[in-house]
Amino acid sequence: MNRMENPLAGVKSEKFRQVGKPLIRTDSPTKVYGTAVYAGDLTMPGMLYAAVLHSERASALLRRVDTTRAKELPGVHCVLTAEDLPASQGVMTDMPGQTGGMTKNTKQPILAKDRVRFCGEPIALVAAESVAIAEQAIGLIDVDYQDIDGVYDPFDALAPGAPIVYGDDNVVASYKIRKGDIEKGFAEADVIVENTFTTQYQEQAFLEPEAALAWVDELEVLNIRSSTQVVEHYRAVADAIGLPHNRVRLRAEFVGGGFGGKEVMTIEVWLALLALASRRPVRLVQPRERSFLSHGPRHPFNITHRTGVTRDGKITALQISFTSDAGAYAKLSPYILLYATVGATGPYRVDNLHVDSVSAATNNLPACAFRGFGTMQANLACEGQMEEIAKTLGMDSMEVRRRNFIRTGDANATGQIIRSAVWSDQCATQALAALGKRPENSQTTRIGHGVACYQQSYGRILWMKDSSEAWVGVEMDGTVVVRSAVADIGGGQSSALAQITAEILGVPMKEVVVYFGDGAVTPLAGTSTASRALYMSGNATQMAATRVRENLLGCAGRHFSVEAEELDMNDSQVFVVGDPKRSMTINDCVKLCAAEGVHRHNLAIFKAPTSEGIDPETGQGEVFPDFTYGAHAAQVAVDIETGEVRVLQSIGAHDVGQAINLRAVEGQVEGSALMGQGFALCEELILEQGQLQTRSLSEYLIPTSEDVPKIKAIILESGSGLGPFGSKGIGEPVYAPVAASIANAVTDAIGVHIFELPITPEKIVKALRRKETVG
Amino acid sequence: MLPSFELLEPHSLDEALKMLATSEATPLAGGTNLLPDLRAHGRAGRRFISLAALDQLRGVEHKGNRVIMGGSTTLNDILRDPLMPKAAPSLVSMAKVFAGTMIRNAATIAGNICYGSPSADAIPPLLSVDAEVTLTSAAGERTLPLDSFLLGYKKTAHQPDELLKTVAWTIPAADSANLFYKLGRRRGDAITVVGVAVTVVIESGSCSKARIALGSVAPTVFRAKEAENILIGGPLTAATIDQAALTAAQASRPIDDIRASAEYRRHAVHMLVRRLLTQAWQTSGAKQHD
Ligand SMILES: Cc1cc2nc3c(=O)[nH]c(=O)nc-3n(C[C@H](O)[C@H](O)[C@H](O)COP(=O)(O)OP(=O)(O)OC[C@H]3O[C@@H](n4cnc5c(N)ncnc54)[C@H](O)[C@@H]3O)c2cc1C
Repeated sequence: MNRMENPLAGVKSEKFRQVGKPLIRTDSPTKVYGTAVYAGDLTMPGMLYAAVLHSERASALLRRVDTTRAKELPGVHCVLTAEDLPASQGVMTDMPGQTGGMTKNTKQPILAKDRVRFCGEPIALVAAESVAIAEQAIGLIDVDYQDIDGVYDPFDALAPGAPIVYGDDNVVASYKIRKGDIEKGFAEADVIVENTFTTQYQEQAFLEPEAALAWVDELEVLNIRSSTQVVEHYRAVADAIGLPHNRVRLRAEFVGGGFGGKEVMTIEVWLALLALASRRPVRLVQPRERSFLSHGPRHPFNITHRTGVTRDGKITALQISFTSDAGAYAKLSPYILLYATVGATGPYRVDNLHVDSVSAATNNLPACAFRGFGTMQANLACEGQMEEIAKTLGMDSMEVRRRNFIRTGDANATGQIIRSAVWSDQCATQALAALGKRPENSQTTRIGHGVACYQQSYGRILWMKDSSEAWVGVEMDGTVVVRSAVADIGGGQSSALAQITAEILGVPMKEVVVYFGDGAVTPLAGTSTASRALYMSGNATQMAATRVRENLLGCAGRHFSVEAEELDMNDSQVFVVGDPKRSMTINDCVKLCAAEGVHRHNLAIFKAPTSEGIDPETGQGEVFPDFTYGAHAAQVAVDIETGEVRVLQSIGAHDVGQAINLRAVEGQVEGSALMGQGFALCEELILEQGQLQTRSLSEYLIPTSEDVPKIKAIILESGSGLGPFGSKGIGEPVYAPVAASIANAVTDAIGVHIFELPITPEKIVKALRRKETVG
Repeated sequence: MLPSFELLEPHSLDEALKMLATSEATPLAGGTNLLPDLRAHGRAGRRFISLAALDQLRGVEHKGNRVIMGGSTTLNDILRDPLMPKAAPSLVSMAKVFAGTMIRNAATIAGNICYGSPSADAIPPLLSVDAEVTLTSAAGERTLPLDSFLLGYKKTAHQPDELLKTVAWTIPAADSANLFYKLGRRRGDAITVVGVAVTVVIESGSCSKARIALGSVAPTVFRAKEAENILIGGPLTAATIDQAALTAAQASRPIDDIRASAEYRRHAVHMLVRRLLTQAWQTSGAKQHD
């Protein structure tokens, strides 16, 4: 595999013994055997069951919420409404990191008081002796709504006189980028291409809906075991209900899918309140229909690109506008809009750039984090625009890309210099080549090939000043323990730490146990979001394991009378390199350490680079630690009579820096291929006047096993990332180009571009008809 | 949440029919329609009669050129029957794209028919082979064409005390083609946007019989009889086929819903009927040549 000189981390030229190999993940057996415990499996003696009353109206005053009948129902232990909540009313819905501050006004009421702003807003909580009783009680709560004018479109929300949902003007956030000289850029252009792209709401549709169990323990600590991506929500829970931080313990169980949907707090604070009020353990597993209302889906975006290009395909100016629908509460919308803004130019270098972006509040479902976090919508427009530019110029679209790709050392949209490898070209070329020859068109089907590249950050926004801690220790028998509060959300987050540690300490991976996800007893590791878990916790673990190794080799060196550098560790042995007779087992080595009083463990902290923000007028500044680059290619067959699209091949090629577990990387590529296919073709939460029309998984259509195309992952390793061993983040990056590649393949097949996702059969038929009549 | 319900479990057909005659109860076969409905908007305390133990309701009998299929035959049973590809090709094509494997293991033919949904996938193929249904009750048996069993949106001729015992039809003639296509928004577990089954029988170079059955484009699955008539009595030229397909599209009364617009559905009927008739003519014509 290819490597390049890494200017930052220093390329590890040695061959790895375990890193990069497709080893069996530490969490795989328990999941395969069905013994893994998820939050919804947990029970406790005396446990009660919760249910939540969600608003049926999108915009209404709450004239009265009468819980009398619900409270009288036998078996009901408590019913809570906004009236019963502590004065601090409101839970923080943004993610400030360990030290950063909040964006303006992102608190959301825990339960609606006086007014509901979206259909699905929580109004009341019940804890009862069975789910049936809790549900019955929910049905007995009388809510007197008085409808008031709402607004259901972000452009309407920004118009003068619109009903106000948020702040004074419904503007949840706005950004701009002013870079270079746009006038001059357009003057230099031979042609100007302008298009508007729109994307829909996408639901995370994780297998496991929101689930948690909460109770107050014998030390008066409020415990929550939850399906979450963020253990450190314990602080937000504590702040919301007025407890000290050290009295709330949040544990993240194995998570059956997060994708950003379990990034902002979901049901934890509700259970905390019910457990405190009832003094009993309380569990909730949201039914699917209410799960749809309990986390934020992907933001719908409207994106306009006006691009100036020379005849030979060089972009001279680019003007972009973004409008996203935030829904009724801010949640993470400001950050997601920032990601879109930074990612506006995709993996391309644009010296003359204007970006104007705004996120508007409406009475729709509040949108929130979803794999890609705004970058993928921005990217989709860039990649569709590449095809349109190529068509206008009569050039091959890969050629247009090549003339504009950002390269190592170039500045991106916000002026941040890209220091790691940029292998967009290699990735796209390999992905396209892997599609092979096109099958023949038939009378009614057209084959299309499409490709898309991307730029996606990994690691959190620099002014959040992110850090992660990890603890590594060796037991007296030579087995190894890793402690990290990382949430294991199914991507192999904890297993990667085992593999890194096994590499460094020279023990088989099965000798390593990772204790993870406990906000009270494992060192805090930050969020499993932003494709940062491996980058941050992997580095912290690498640091801790390396220091333990140094301690062990120090003792062994003294024993063998050699320098530590002459020693190596493998197969649970410590030995003098080139002199295998001089060796000892790791447990003997650990005993030596113990006898000498040398630490057999280490607690390390990894701190990400930081910055103080971007210039509000120009949008210039460093925003992210680094970016991942790659490409996805798709082959589709389109039925030109019915408009049906079948994805035949889906190929992801990504520079992952360094794979830690090859199989886990491939798994990310495979999952993203289907998730992106859903976004491109069939997934869409449909709202009418704020009312969700697609209320279940029979109306909200994710691809099924029958829809799986041939999927292939091509893994390139530049070794240039900021993660352990030169790795880059990949969880979101692999998803970023998928939908665009499918959209471009459809364009290639039918000769017209569909600018509005999802690309339904109906839209294809209409587009083809328009093409026929227009000629 | 699934509301609680009462479940009666008869061990014989007679016992089941007696229960149906004397108590207000609903037959429960695979439960793949009833249980999701109950969970979505049902009330507690309903009474169901499980058909699970009534073996005589399940299975396919081939008697000469007649096929008699028990009501509790599952969609996967259809795929496992080695004679079915000859006995009703469209039914096999349909079963392959019906739901997904898990549902096919539970879903029954009687459940599909009696639920009476306009999107019931088994009905267009069965209409295309002129199937009849036999209903049985404590009072006796009656047999009627499937076509007249379907009355309207989720409305059938089924009486509360009856069970659908069998569906039966005559194997299509040798010089014929019998095809099905399901258009959905995804390939697995999709509610049909347009379902089409056609039969074309050829005698000495001309079409002697035609069936066009359409799903999801009217309050109930129906036969586009006017379109069928256009095809009878001559060879099927591209022009006749297109005219029949257009007539079928005009006979459709689809609605707009979250899956597709009425306009698109009509267009798809036109395209798919034309395509299936063309294929049917070509394959049955080819058979004649041999
Ligand atoms: C995920 C999923 C996917 C699906 N996909 C499809 C699909 O692709 N195509 C499709 O057509 N349908 C589909 N369905 C719907 C359903 O599976 C079918 O309609 C199925 O055939 C119903 O059969 P059942 O045995 O489960 O019926 P049940 O739910 O048990 O019963 C349905 C109705 O029929 C009545 N009934 C059952 N048996 C008899 C009898 N012998 N006599 C009288 N009345 C009777 C019941 O009282 C009830 O009213 C799907 C359902 C699900 C949950």
